[in-house]
Amino acid sequence: MTVSAIEFTRLGAPKLHLFAMKCDKCKELSPWWERSHCYKCGHDTLTEFELAGKGEITNYTVVYYPPREFLGQEPYVVGHILMDEGVTLPAPVMGVAPDAVEVGTRVAATLRRMKLGHEGDIYYSYKFVVDDDPAPKKAAPARRAAAKKPAAKKPAAKKPAPRRPAARKK
Amino acid sequence: MSMRVGVLGIGKTPHKIQHEKSLKDLGVEAGRKAMADAGVDPSEIQMLYVGNVGSVGFNYENSTALMAAHHLGVVPAGAVRVEAACGTGAWALHLGCVAIASGLYDTVMVLGMEKMNDLATVEGTSIIAQAADSKEEYFSGLTFPSGTALTARKYMQAYGVSEEDLAHTSVKNHFYGARNPSAHLRFECTVEEVMNSPKVADPLKLYEVCPMTDAASALVLCREEILRAQPNRPQVYVTATSMASGTWYQASDTLDDAYNLFHRPATRAYEMAGVTAKDIDVAEIYNSFAIQEPLGIEGLGFAKMGQGWKGAKDGSTWLDGKIAVNPSGGLLCKGHPLGATGATQAVDIVEQLRGTAPEGMQRADAEIGISACRGGPGSVGAIHIYQRLEG
Repeated sequence: MTVSAIEFTRLGAPKLHLFAMKCDKCKELSPWWERSHCYKCGHDTLTEFELAGKGEITNYTVVYYPPREFLGQEPYVVGHILMDEGVTLPAPVMGVAPDAVEVGTRVAATLRRMKLGHEGDIYYSYKFVVDDDPAPKKAAPARRAAAKKPAAKKPAAKKPAPRRPAARKK
Repeated sequence: MSMRVGVLGIGKTPHKIQHEKSLKDLGVEAGRKAMADAGVDPSEIQMLYVGNVGSVGFNYENSTALMAAHHLGVVPAGAVRVEAACGTGAWALHLGCVAIASGLYDTVMVLGMEKMNDLATVEGTSIIAQAADSKEEYFSGLTFPSGTALTARKYMQAYGVSEEDLAHTSVKNHFYGARNPSAHLRFECTVEEVMNSPKVADPLKLYEVCPMTDAASALVLCREEILRAQPNRPQVYVTATSMASGTWYQASDTLDDAYNLFHRPATRAYEMAGVTAKDIDVAEIYNSFAIQEPLGIEGLGFAKMGQGWKGAKDGSTWLDGKIAVNPSGGLLCKGHPLGATGATQAVDIVEQLRGTAPEGMQRADAEIGISACRGGPGSVGAIHIYQRLEG
């Protein structure tokens, strides 16, 4: 049961930028995997929508028994992060002890090593760290409202500008 | 439409780690037991539906329905394998019921089987994770236990339920699991022991998680007239089969979705069987993780949303309660041999209606039973209703 490096070209590179899919019709944001139709209104055209990288932990678990690709990282925290733009994404949260995670914590995205592929290929992607911004935004806006008015885009300078394919449009 | 599919025979292997037996051995053992119980010869089986999830990963075998057909001696009956995550065994049963109800076949066999312990836990965990979007959502390091842990915390947050409250579900299951000779885990435990068991995926603890198990279960189904013509046999019929799909992602799986996963197909099933939730005596509800039992209890209409956990604490879902939920010990104790589970639930309910469940597990005068199987992050809902219908 091995997955070849061929898959890496499909899964690896696209995970180097943090985006959601935005419905062309109702503007609802969905996680990056919803490419065929909008979960809310059923419309079939969605466009990649860059996220600023800030959000809040709304739910979390601690993984003590990981799949093989994550071996050695356990125990690790995986949270549901409600992004300021209004979409919830699952992602590891770093730098917090398993017994100190708290719902409501402000977090910021950072590019890290995610996992090892079956051929030793290293997958990088976004994980989250506690946001030490001295003036964190007040409570995250309601989901629908947020979708209307995306948070100001951060300059990409902080992150290594990843090479990525042009935004896909179905 | 109404439906009556006769349950002519049942059979199951012990549910445990069985290094000495192959997947083939398990399937043959359960299938032969069911045919012996039914009093049929392999040549009488006209179609074989095999539920098996992960043989390609777990055992490096494929096309396991064809293997089973050969070794059970049912050739030239048609044989096919069906897969729908943890709902696989229930789906095989559904196809068996449809085959009989359609009038196309007289006698068919449903066989669920899984051999999970040829691999180490980490490999098994990786294979099981393929029953979700392992490339995209589970790219984040999620596994089935941790994905379900997110559901558990969501439930606790929404209804103000504590970990101790939820622990009662495991206590109840283990009370009966200890009495089930074919269960994988056979010990009783207390709320404290559940709370103190090692964390698997916070807030889920070891005693709230099912083990990986090797097992197979089989049923021989027939047309109503065939069973009616044998009045000395227990007159147990499947009177409803109803399937649904649901969300494929944990992140978008709301508590409403979790409720609807059972509520929608159960509503159709009750209508099909002409019964209501209040009529049910005994239920086998999927609980590979303890939190899924209260969710299932609610979806089936035995309790309101957010209240499903209470029965294990106040006694109303124990054997002599309002409704007996998982008197087999559930998946928490029987284990969860993926493709077999749905079939095992069916076999356990049929035993209840026949009055042949092991001592300490038999619901008195059980006449109507239900099995509810689910699969994927919230992706399969499978409901079957069974009735003892004399004369």
